[in-house]
Amino acid sequence: MQPEVALTPAPKPHPTRNQARAGKYLVFNLGREHFGIQVLKVREIMGLQDITEVPHTPVFVKGVFNLRGKVIPVIDLRRRFEMKEIDYSARTCIIVVSLSGTDQPIPMGLIVDGVAEVINIAESDIEGTPAFGCELDTSYLLGIAKVRGEVRLLLDIDRALNADQFEAFAKFSASASSQPV
Amino acid sequence: MADAIKSKSAESELRQFIEELARQSMSCHDLPEVRADAICERFSKLHRLAIEADLGGVADLAESLHSTLAKTGPEHLTDCLRAAVTQVQQKMESSAQTHSAAATIDCASEEMTLSDPGLIADFVVESREHLVAAEELALALEKEPGDAEAINALFRVFHSIKGLAAFLEFDRVYRFAHEVETLLDYARNRELVVTPAVIDLILASADFLSRCMDAIQSGGLSTLAETEGAIVNRVQEVIARSAVPGDSAKVDQPVPSSGSAPTGNPFEIDAESLPESAQPGTEVNGRPEAGMSTAEAPLAAGSTAEVTVPPGGNTANAERYSIRVDTNKLDYLMDIVGELVIAQSLMRTEIMTHSNAHLNLVRSVSRLTQITTDVQRTTLRMRMIPIGQLLRRSTRIVRDLARKCGKQVEIELEGEDTEVDKTIAEELADPLMHIVRNAIDHGVESPEVRLGAGKGPVAKIRLSASHEGGQIVVQVSDDGKGLDRAKIVKKARERNLVPDGNLTEADIVDLIFSPGFSTAEEITTVSGRGVGMDVVRKHVEKLRGRVDVVSTSGKGTKFIIRLPLTRAIIDGLVVRVGESRYVIPLSSVREIFRPLESAVSTVQEKGELVMLHNRLLPIVRLHRQLSVVPDITDPWAAVLIFAESGGREFCLMVDELIGKQEVVVKSLGQFLESTPGVSGGTILGDGRVGLILDVQKLEVRA
Repeated sequence: MQPEVALTPAPKPHPTRNQARAGKYLVFNLGREHFGIQVLKVREIMGLQDITEVPHTPVFVKGVFNLRGKVIPVIDLRRRFEMKEIDYSARTCIIVVSLSGTDQPIPMGLIVDGVAEVINIAESDIEGTPAFGCELDTSYLLGIAKVRGEVRLLLDIDRALNADQFEAFAKFSASASSQPV
Repeated sequence: MADAIKSKSAESELRQFIEELARQSMSCHDLPEVRADAICERFSKLHRLAIEADLGGVADLAESLHSTLAKTGPEHLTDCLRAAVTQVQQKMESSAQTHSAAATIDCASEEMTLSDPGLIADFVVESREHLVAAEELALALEKEPGDAEAINALFRVFHSIKGLAAFLEFDRVYRFAHEVETLLDYARNRELVVTPAVIDLILASADFLSRCMDAIQSGGLSTLAETEGAIVNRVQEVIARSAVPGDSAKVDQPVPSSGSAPTGNPFEIDAESLPESAQPGTEVNGRPEAGMSTAEAPLAAGSTAEVTVPPGGNTANAERYSIRVDTNKLDYLMDIVGELVIAQSLMRTEIMTHSNAHLNLVRSVSRLTQITTDVQRTTLRMRMIPIGQLLRRSTRIVRDLARKCGKQVEIELEGEDTEVDKTIAEELADPLMHIVRNAIDHGVESPEVRLGAGKGPVAKIRLSASHEGGQIVVQVSDDGKGLDRAKIVKKARERNLVPDGNLTEADIVDLIFSPGFSTAEEITTVSGRGVGMDVVRKHVEKLRGRVDVVSTSGKGTKFIIRLPLTRAIIDGLVVRVGESRYVIPLSSVREIFRPLESAVSTVQEKGELVMLHNRLLPIVRLHRQLSVVPDITDPWAAVLIFAESGGREFCLMVDELIGKQEVVVKSLGQFLESTPGVSGGTILGDGRVGLILDVQKLEVRA
């Protein structure tokens, strides 16, 4: 028997969030925190690659790497979430995801501490994200799921990484550098 | 409901039958085996099908035509048949419309065809290609009005568009194409003499249809503001004038060309110039056509012997056997082949360093190296197209403009087979157009002036393309009056574009490329606003190319555009700074040197200068720009690269030169592409990504 999948979404915690949250998720971790990312967004998982740093980019951009002849940007997800940095280990992985672009999906690598499993999460197991006050922006979470008594933070990857952040940075960096230091 | 479905299938069968009939009627005009009884048989079948399809009007028409045709004598049979088929087609269209409005189920199924965006997109792409061909053919026909092959080809173009439009139910396009087709049919049967006025009409029709395509693409024909009425009227007028009943308007008694044609026009034709049977391979006007392709032959024969036509009509064959491939697939192939080359070279290095490697293994690897190189080269070539089509597009501009300016101009093309990356060819279209316009407006004199200067009245504009040292060189030359240096300088002074004092030849040539510069006394529709040449330089530089002008007073002007063969690959200088490697485009590198300590000086301990050939150049420390830790901090121990970009000169300081390499340019993706100082990435020999530096932006940051 397949686990029952809710056909109608439960009352939404965010008014703008209209996608169905139930479905398959890839679970990965950053330290003790476990995240879920929709499998439909994931293109592939690979070990750490040779990464070329790119100057004048946001601090969380680790650089670019060669994915079968294509140049793909890589994000250090720890840096993106302003978590403490750790040394990369044998478990460190790059998850290549497809972000929704304007005309076609944009591939992007995410460096995470390790990947665990793919699980099916029902809508009934998902709760809205509680507010932590202004110190913590949680708008990039789809919700929080309880799986076997543990918490999985469901990531809205398109919100966590979007072009605006990069463009804003590029503009800022360009204007800052044009002034004499 | 079942009835409706049945009648639907009968209708499609009927449509097919009519199409077939139309084809037969078009092709059978001089075949003896067309006999009345065979035709009558067809029309009774038509009648039966129409009844099955529940199209009463068509059935009635078929019956009446059946009886008319039965009475017609054999000599008029073809004409009557053709007229009959046209009538049936029209009736079919009108009754199909009322019919489908009545039967709702039909509407549903038709909308499926209508709303299929893929089909419509294909239709637009295909029609555009047809229209480009039509334009070339029309111009070829103008030079060789008796060219039966060209007329046939033109006829096929409009016929195909008509057929597709009817299938997709673009009624306006269908009806319009049908009118032009009728016109061409008369020309084909020698009942209409091809005059310049007719050519104008064909070109105007092609223009109208391509505007239709634009409209379809941007959301439907309803957005098309203009109406086809005016052109259709002209078409019908020409048809009416030529369609003098019977055989009176035959080849031996040409209808005089219409009044709108300029007198003394070289395109005026007489009875002798119309060949009796102009098949390919036969001689037309004593000029051998030796199996040349339809599109090429008239053009080649009409211009000069210098036009290179591949032996045996290669171009036509190449077009026929080409397929359309999604550029994304090509890009993917190129990426993956690049990876293959890297994997192969890593393996090769590995094996070659093992001194005890098996001899056969070494041999196999060498063979593999050859093959991969070949595969890579072929992949790159797949993006290349012959530049001919682009050059031929100018033929139209020359024709229209020369007429508008009252000048006589002949165009010569050379090197049409020269291959160039498709994106480059597309980007080149605009600059080329501006140069050609400029040549006609400013370069070429009016016939009277030319005669006065001891030249022939017809001016020559020559477009040539060739490969030269890994670049493509496109030249546009005219035999006009050349650049008027005094006038240029005077105008520039008036606008305060240059300081007083002597100007060098290069300075003067430079002026014509400055924005807003024009020597024209008044602004005309052709030129005078001074945007043209400015645009040319910008475009060409964007493509990493350069444009030069050579001009001799009284003899003519020559524009020389040099461009890289492809945008996908650049020659790069691979350098190392600290642990990172970067690629500097070789096009901006002038010189590489290591200065003496005494040649380096500082300004306020911040700015650094180096003396090279008695010139002081600023030093840009690449490691500061890129925030990396260098191995070397003294300029006299490092390597300096004298670079030039966007008119500025400076020296880039790096740790080490690694080498010169052809690199495939890759985008960093939407998120990082606006990174200042970096124009893209490339995969280096060891599989890592190297950044390609945007030298101009780097310098700005310095």
